[in-house]
Amino acid sequence: MIDLNAFSAALTILFSDFGPWIWVVPGLIIGLVFGAIPGLQISMSMAIFLPFTFGMDFLQAMLFLTAIFTGGAYGGGVTSILMNIPGSSASVATTFDGYPMAQKGLHNEALGIGLAASVVGCLIGYLFLLLLIQPLATFVLRLGPMEMAVIVLWGLTLIATLNDGSAAKGLLAGVFGLLLSQVGMSSTGVMRTTVGNPYLIDGISVVPAMIGLFAASELLRLRGNSYLVEGDKSHSVRLGGIMRGIGQAFRYPVSLIRGSMIGALIGVVPGVGVSIANLVAYSEEKRAAKDSSGFGKGDPRGVVAAESSNSSSEGGSMTALLALGIPGGAATAVLLAAFSFHNLVGGPAFIRDERDLVYAIILGNIVQVALLLILGLLLLRVLGMVVKVPLAYLVPTVLAMCAWGGYGITGTVAGPVTVMVFAGLGWLMRRHGYPVACAVIGLLLGRMLEGELVRTLQISGGNPLGYMAERPIALVMLAVLILSAVVLPVWRARKLKKA
Amino acid sequence: MTRRISSTHLFFLTLVVAASLFLIWSSAGASPTTYNLIVVVPAGVIVILLTLWILIGEWRAMSAGAVRKRTNLSETFGDILLLALFAGLCLGLTGVGFDVATFLFIWIGVHLCGERRLWAPPLFAAACTFLMVKFFGSLFPFPMPLLVL
Repeated sequence: MIDLNAFSAALTILFSDFGPWIWVVPGLIIGLVFGAIPGLQISMSMAIFLPFTFGMDFLQAMLFLTAIFTGGAYGGGVTSILMNIPGSSASVATTFDGYPMAQKGLHNEALGIGLAASVVGCLIGYLFLLLLIQPLATFVLRLGPMEMAVIVLWGLTLIATLNDGSAAKGLLAGVFGLLLSQVGMSSTGVMRTTVGNPYLIDGISVVPAMIGLFAASELLRLRGNSYLVEGDKSHSVRLGGIMRGIGQAFRYPVSLIRGSMIGALIGVVPGVGVSIANLVAYSEEKRAAKDSSGFGKGDPRGVVAAESSNSSSEGGSMTALLALGIPGGAATAVLLAAFSFHNLVGGPAFIRDERDLVYAIILGNIVQVALLLILGLLLLRVLGMVVKVPLAYLVPTVLAMCAWGGYGITGTVAGPVTVMVFAGLGWLMRRHGYPVACAVIGLLLGRMLEGELVRTLQISGGNPLGYMAERPIALVMLAVLILSAVVLPVWRARKLKKA
Repeated sequence: MTRRISSTHLFFLTLVVAASLFLIWSSAGASPTTYNLIVVVPAGVIVILLTLWILIGEWRAMSAGAVRKRTNLSETFGDILLLALFAGLCLGLTGVGFDVATFLFIWIGVHLCGERRLWAPPLFAAACTFLMVKFFGSLFPFPMPLLVL
């Protein structure tokens, strides 16, 4: 199940010098702090700090960004427990039992349970990826351009239809992103829609666009508030209670493993990811419990299920990213941008040619889990206070960093201007319920889709339907795509009507 | 409460349709081959159809008596003002220098976001600009035009 040659090469890359680890601790701290600030999404912090990776080598960049991802998943749980405010959608289920525990004066224990469950969940998610990547590699290398094109369309459809809002708005955002990706020179060398602007020859610069859509537009939305959390809801954080909570989490091994497995499996499906995983794991835990009367009133099993699943879904979402080059959500979309930033393309070719790097990323993340435990313990007190930062100062400062980030990528005024244009677009989209993550993923996958479709046309001699009839995998995937595009929106509309 | 479709929503949908039509027209003008239009045309058509679907859905909901929360005009104006200030920063970074543009943006931005004290924002803006130039900027692989620092 594991390619031992690549595995040992990965160990050499990781442990022969300190280089790959330099940025892991800062990444975890950034993730913990941003994750703990309600309203500031993990993907936003990853997008803001993406330009920093310009000077790093690829592995350093990946470990830095995945450290933000890992830290953010736990950071969001802290405010869920202490203030009943989820730092991100990944931590919604943590509030169900975490906050009632805090109200009973068991907030330290709840924080400890959350930390232990996050660490175990993350570990299981990456072990799942470690075992799965080799068999997946064997499978995905059999996929041709037609299958890849159908997978890209399927992924985009799922992401667009399974967002929190309307399916039509999700699809519009995703397809509009695809359309915008077509600006600039095509994969066959035709210059399109550059409006005479030399900055657009290579197309719209994805990273500044992503910073604008994810970060700047979100900050504009936060402008009206004084503080992230109003009132003075403070709790004293004590190490003894946290350590007791860590021990308590291991009294529920089945809940830990069940939550982690649910998270890892759900994380693989594009578009579902962390925001759904924690809710599914929580309801499954409640359903499976012999006595579920304590759920919602401060049952530790609820915190274990929610926190283990949101952390393990990270490993699951990395599976789709590494194996297929398709981001499962906003955070993995930033990781995919980091690939292109370092002139690499995620997907089958990457796991065929750079398997040692793939294993190094996975192993690096497993080590990050141990660091998360230590840093989590050290920073819990600070994380509880971070929500008291006045927004009047936070918003303009981070906005300025967004503009600087745009320049850091392009080295010209085109970067900040792209951030500005997409900040405006993102502001309009968020205001009317269009998921910006769908537009970013469309923008990221558009070029790949075009390349795969052109290759399909070339291979099939201009008869893609006849060619498809000879490709059973493509036929099955097309059926799944049609089902996702038609059945899911209808199912959601019915569910909304019933509600 | 109001029964009219939001003007910013209409503006967004008009922008999306206009951009789609322009992209289709411009791409077809560059080369009308299948290879060149394989994503642009289907995506453009889907975007236009989805826009119509959303608009019709909104109109039907409004005619069926649905009401939408009226937008707070002063909030919208405040957002647009901050967005305009941000545009000034983005355009001014290379023109007037990163330090001056950032200092002015943070100073005015803090006031726009609701700070009433007069002395704190410029001090904060100066400290922030200094830290950003020395730390954030030092990681940039490109030269960064500065006026003062």
